[in-house]
Amino acid sequence: MLPKLFEVPWSDYAPALLDGLQRTVSYTLASFLGAAVLGLAVALLRLSKHRIMRLPAAAYTEIFKNIPLLAIIFVTYFGLASVGLRLGVFEAGCVSLIVFYAAYLSEIFRAAIAGVHGGQQEAAEALGLGRVSTFAQVILPQALRSALPGTNTMFVDLLKSTSLLVTISAAELMSEGRIITSATFRALEVYLVIAAIYFALCYPLSQGLLWLERRIRAGIPLSPKRRRRLRAARALLAEKGAPV
Amino acid sequence: MTDAAQETTAIVVPEQPEVVVRIENLSKSFDGRLVLDDVHLTVHHSKIVAIIGQSGGGKTTLLRCVNLLERPDNATMEVAGETIFAGDRVTIRNLAKLRQSVGMVFQRFNLFPHLTAVENVMLAQLKAGVSEEDALDRAVKLLRRVGLAHRGVAYPEQMSGGEQQRVAIARALALRPSVLLFDEPTSSLDPESTSEVLRVMRELADDGMTMILVTHELPFARDVADWVVFVDGGRIVEEGKPADVLGKPREPRTKAFLASYAASH
Ligand SMILES: Nc1ncnc2c1ncn2[C@@H]1O[C@H](COP(=O)(O)OP(=O)(O)OP(=O)(O)O)[C@@H](O)[C@H]1O
Ligand SMILES: [Mg+2]
Repeated sequence: MLPKLFEVPWSDYAPALLDGLQRTVSYTLASFLGAAVLGLAVALLRLSKHRIMRLPAAAYTEIFKNIPLLAIIFVTYFGLASVGLRLGVFEAGCVSLIVFYAAYLSEIFRAAIAGVHGGQQEAAEALGLGRVSTFAQVILPQALRSALPGTNTMFVDLLKSTSLLVTISAAELMSEGRIITSATFRALEVYLVIAAIYFALCYPLSQGLLWLERRIRAGIPLSPKRRRRLRAARALLAEKGAPV
Repeated sequence: MTDAAQETTAIVVPEQPEVVVRIENLSKSFDGRLVLDDVHLTVHHSKIVAIIGQSGGGKTTLLRCVNLLERPDNATMEVAGETIFAGDRVTIRNLAKLRQSVGMVFQRFNLFPHLTAVENVMLAQLKAGVSEEDALDRAVKLLRRVGLAHRGVAYPEQMSGGEQQRVAIARALALRPSVLLFDEPTSSLDPESTSEVLRVMRELADDGMTMILVTHELPFARDVADWVVFVDGGRIVEEGKPADVLGKPREPRTKAFLASYAASH
């Protein structure tokens, strides 16, 4: 039985798989970026002082958190098409993933921003930082740090969820798997290989993100600008300064 | 010390107006409850005013009005020669400029935890348009001044409370403010850290820094302050020279406060 497990001529299908892989990565990156931006916007609305801004944002989050992703995909692709709004497969796929994951990310971001101590805002204001600088330089960096673990989990989850796009033949990995299966009738072998490819994508990704989390938590500066600044600071601090 | 170093670390800004902070008829309420009632306070250049009083008396609120972190209901306020508030409205156009001329030090330090000590001192300078090089240079000099050159690239969580508060003082000095506000700067510190921080503050006082200091450290206030203000129930109940207010108080409420202080120390 076992020797017969691998009979699919994989070298023939390698280009198709590579293509699917590429598409899975594209869906993941485009959707995650979109979901992060939308999620941050929704989070900010939910933290607004004004009820009229908070309410729609809260409604958005609750709606999309409580609908299955598959239903969102079907509504966006088949549903909208039936009323004349025909999205391409890529657009429909990305829009579905974005609105779904933005709901989760907005919850993570909201908690993270609200969790930044009030004294931080105060200290920044007392130093003359404007609203934008205060948010960008003081609040957001701290919020991102605490949002990182949850965000990373969502990132990997989103990658895996792209496989649901097989239902609209999105030509990503899972769709390629289905095509190969129908050509070879080797479902077990094919889907084991597809699963292995997902694992090979997701495992290093989540490990890499964990590594990033640890580095950030350890206070290792990521941007070259900060690294240069701290190097210069170290050099200057080590000099014997004039007594003051 | 070289001339250049002297120039950059000198905190006393020349050509200061004689009166750095003038507050008149200040009242402030929260949710309809009056917490500051017709407060008057004048702080002259190079002078140190200590504000003392019971918890909830309005000391913090008074301090926060000076840099408009809190907006009075009514007041006339002048800071560093500019009218910042008149009647019931802010009259200073550039709020950032006011905040730059008023440094503030908080009870809970409020250092930016994602930045190292030196970056904490640099941030406001960079936002105010100081060049990278000059901002770093000044930050390092200020950290030396507060005795923390060796902790410059440490993060706040890696520092003791006293070290954090000294970094916070350096941060507040970064933009060469005309006046420093301290809100119980040693209240969350152990005795050793407290004396570190008080030492730095005493040096600032000796250098002629203008300061308003909310404190429960009465011996320190008696030592360094030029003027002591006792606030209770949102009003200035008694004020005067430290030796008078703390030594021979006239008002019953001041006496009661000092007696309860003596009993608990
Ligand atoms: N943001 C606010 N909203 C509502 N009430 C407030 C606010 N800030 C302060 N208060 C109230 O105003 C009064 C004065 O408070 P404030 O913090 O100025 O007192 P304090 O003298 O600094 O007291 P402490 O010694 O405890 O720090 C208190 O009754 C307080 O509850
Ligand atoms: Mg207070």
